[in-house]
Formats: sequence, structure tokens, C-alpha cells
Amino acid sequence: MDAMSVSRITWVWFALILATGLSWQFGHGFGFGEKFHYATVAILIITFIKVRFVFLDFMELRTAPLSLRLAFEAWAVLVCGTLIFLYWSGI
Amino acid sequence: MSSVELPQAARIHLPGETGVWVFILGDMLMFALLFAVFIYYRSQDVGLFAGSQLTLNQTFGAFNTLLLLSSSWFVALGINAARKSLGKISARYFAATFCCALAFVVVKVFEYGEKFNAGIAITTNDFYMYYFMLTGIHLIHVVIGMGVLTFLWHTARSAELNEKNINVLESGASFWHMVDILWIVLFALFYLLR
Amino acid sequence: MNKTSQLICAWCAIPFAIFFTIGIWPLAGFMPPLSPDLSALEIATIYRENTLPIRTGALIMMSTSGFMCAFLAVIAVQMRRIEGRFDVLTIAQISSGTVGVVAFIVATVAWTAAAFRPERSPELIQLLNDIGWIYFLMTFSTFVVQDFVVGFAILGDKNAEPIFPRWLGYYNLWVGVTFIPGGLLTFFKTGPFAWDGLFVWWVPFIVFFSWYVVMFVMLRRAIIAQSEQPLTS
Repeated sequence: MDAMSVSRITWVWFALILATGLSWQFGHGFGFGEKFHYATVAILIITFIKVRFVFLDFMELRTAPLSLRLAFEAWAVLVCGTLIFLYWSGI
Repeated sequence: MSSVELPQAARIHLPGETGVWVFILGDMLMFALLFAVFIYYRSQDVGLFAGSQLTLNQTFGAFNTLLLLSSSWFVALGINAARKSLGKISARYFAATFCCALAFVVVKVFEYGEKFNAGIAITTNDFYMYYFMLTGIHLIHVVIGMGVLTFLWHTARSAELNEKNINVLESGASFWHMVDILWIVLFALFYLLR
Repeated sequence: MNKTSQLICAWCAIPFAIFFTIGIWPLAGFMPPLSPDLSALEIATIYRENTLPIRTGALIMMSTSGFMCAFLAVIAVQMRRIEGRFDVLTIAQISSGTVGVVAFIVATVAWTAAAFRPERSPELIQLLNDIGWIYFLMTFSTFVVQDFVVGFAILGDKNAEPIFPRWLGYYNLWVGVTFIPGGLLTFFKTGPFAWDGLFVWWVPFIVFFSWYVVMFVMLRRAIIAQSEQPLTS
């Protein structure tokens, strides 16, 4: 809407690219070494933090009616939790 | 930062029309099921899934992620430009988004082609079944989204940017952001998971 | 206007949804579907041991499938109010919906044929059973077109007071999207994309019948609103 929010969008985009790079590194043994199960959980959490930023800043749910925002946040939390649970139960 | 934004945050605004959120939530529910089913079956046969995953081309996947993240950014910039009544600039952003989407499809065609040439198809094993099904259903969404983006480009270029038209632009933009979000998750599930 | 006839046609959705479900579920025992992974002998045994229930279930499914035709007509009449004279989407809805009814009828015929002479060779019973299920669940394209044209018509409504709420248009587009995986059953005998799987059977089945209920409620509302408008005849 003003210069402020345009630059915020750009910062969010930049952060999303960085987060993609970080999860790529986690996927290649960075940080967790042989404990790749933890790396996977970290990747999933980063993924859904990225998703949440797209929800809030690109989709503009930060200023949307609360019920809609909560529906999407609940989606992110539930899907992330379910995926981590199912992944972990398969180790 | 939040103190600067407070006046805006206080203003409640629903982007796009209500109905489009029915579609988006319904579609995301369907994809949530697809994600859960994939990871459930993966947990039943980790060896097969992890082994097959090694044959995927991660570079293609990562490049496509960058493309879609950037496309979402362009759409958001386009909406901001439209709100300032800068129709021509807004249209240019939507055109840039369309190019990202087109590049995504081209990369996907090369990626699928690489698999087919290696003799891998949807029936090869369970991993490839999910890989082709989920990325294929997502690809259908990208192609539908390219139609939506063309419509946004046309609207921003030729229509008067009143409240009603901006609402239409926001509806289409929200759909495109959903396409981006679904890919963010698919990228992690198919290319990065270990 | 013909309020009563329209309402009767709209009400047809309810006996269709109820009796079709009774026919396929408790009677024929096709819920969950017979797995495509079963051998010819296993399929033949099911048909031999449940001959009468399958015949009766198929008869009920056949009897109620015709109700879909009346329901298609009332959707078309209300869509025509949106589109006016050059009602191409209305016609596309009728033609695609009608072909969808044919898919239901042919599936029922194939199951009936399999149960008609259960003593014949298991391979033939399996073949007829396959044809029935594939007709029933692979024929997604006409349903996708039907839902999409209904959706586009509703979203394109230029009336001062729209016939249907706009969310119903988006709902129809979503229903169409959920049917797309159905075609993939050709590749699989097990898993979520086989014909007894989550994305070919359970999701489309539930969405399909909930579509009938949602459309019935909204059509009924539109017909009553139409009858209260003084200018329409």
C-alpha cells in the first residue's frame, strides 16, 4: 500500500529464498551430520514457516478477518504436525 | 517494525471475494490429504522411497521453488501497484509472474522427460506413483493459474482500477499464492526429506 | 412460472442420493468397492455368494439413476436465467451431465450382467466386474466439465440479484478438481489411486453426493426466490 509495505514484501521474498537455501543445506547433511531424522524435522518446520509467511504477507491474511486467518494458521499447524508425526512413526 | 505497521494492521480487509476462499480452503484440504497419504506410505517402506528419491533431480526442484517464490512476490507487487492505480506497472508484474509460471512448466517437462528417458514411469514403484500424481495434479493447478494470470494481466492493463476490479485481481492473486504454497510443501516432501 | 414442476425435479436429488447409496452399500455390498487386486476366482465367489443382493442392489441403482436426468433439467432452467438466450453453458451442462448418467447406467448393466449368470467362468465375471467399476469411476471428464460449466455460469452472473451465491460457483469448480484423479485408476490395482482408494473412491464419492445435497438446497432457494419475483412469468 505504501513504500513501507512494498519493501516488507521484498524482505519476505528474500527471507523465503534464504530459508529455501537453508533447508537445502539441511537436506544435504549440513548442521545435523548423521542425525538426518532431525534434519528432516527441521526441513518440515522451515517449510511450514515459509508457508506461514506466504499466508500472512503475500496472501495478506495478516490483515484479513480473524476467522480466515485462523483457518489457514490451523491448516499449517495441523498439516505440519501430522507430517512430522507420520514421518517419525516410520523411523 | 510492528509499531510502524499498527495503523494498517488495525484495518481489517478480506483480499478478494469470499467465494474464492471456499475454493482455496477446499483445495488445500485435498492436498493436505495427498501429503499425509504420501508420507504415511513412505513411512511404511522408507528404503524404497528414500532410494527412489535419490534419482530425482534436486536442482530442477530447487530452481522451480525459486521460480514460484519469485512469482508469488511479483503477484504481491502487482497487487500493490494496482492499489496505487498503476495499471501498466501492475500488468508488467503479472506478465513477469506468467513468465515464471511458464518457466516452471518448461522445467517440469524436462524433468519428466529425463525420467521417461531413464525408463521411469508412474507404474515403476509407489514412490514414482506419488511423485507423478502429486506433481502432476499440482502442474494442472499451475496451468490453470497461467490462465488466471493472463486474466489478471488483461484486467490490470485495460480495465479501470476501481475497488471492484482490484477485488477481482486479489481473488486471482490469492489462487496463485496457493499454487506457490502447495509447491513449497511438495518440494520439501519429494526432494529434501531424508 | 412452473414452481411446482421445478421443485419436484429439484427434489429428485434426494431419492437419488438416498436410494443409490442403499443400492450400492447395504444391498450390493460394494462399499468399500471390490478391490481391483482380487483374483478372478475371488470376484466370482463374491458374485456367486451374493447373487440376489447384487442383482437387487443394481436394480435399485438403475431405478434411481433416472432421477439425475430430472435434476439436470432443473439446474439447466436456473442456469438459463443467468445466461439468457445464448445459453451455451446450460447446454454443455445438460450434455455432460447426461453422459454422466449413461456412465452410471452402463456400470449398473455390467454388474447386473456379471450377476446374471454367476455360474459362468470366473474370468468373464471378473471382466464384467472390471468394466462396471471402470465405467463408474474412470468417467471423470464429463463430471469435471459439468461442474466447471455450472461454476463458470454462476461466477458470470450479471443479474442485479444473482440467482446463486458466488461461493457456489467456486464450490462447483472445487468439486470438479476433486474428480480429476479418477482417471488414474487405469494404472493401479492397490493404493490410494486404485479404484477402491482414497482419491478415486472415497473423496469423489463423498464429494459427489454432498454436491447433490448442496445443489438441491441452493436450487430450492433459487426456485422459491424466482416464484416471489412478480415480473417473471
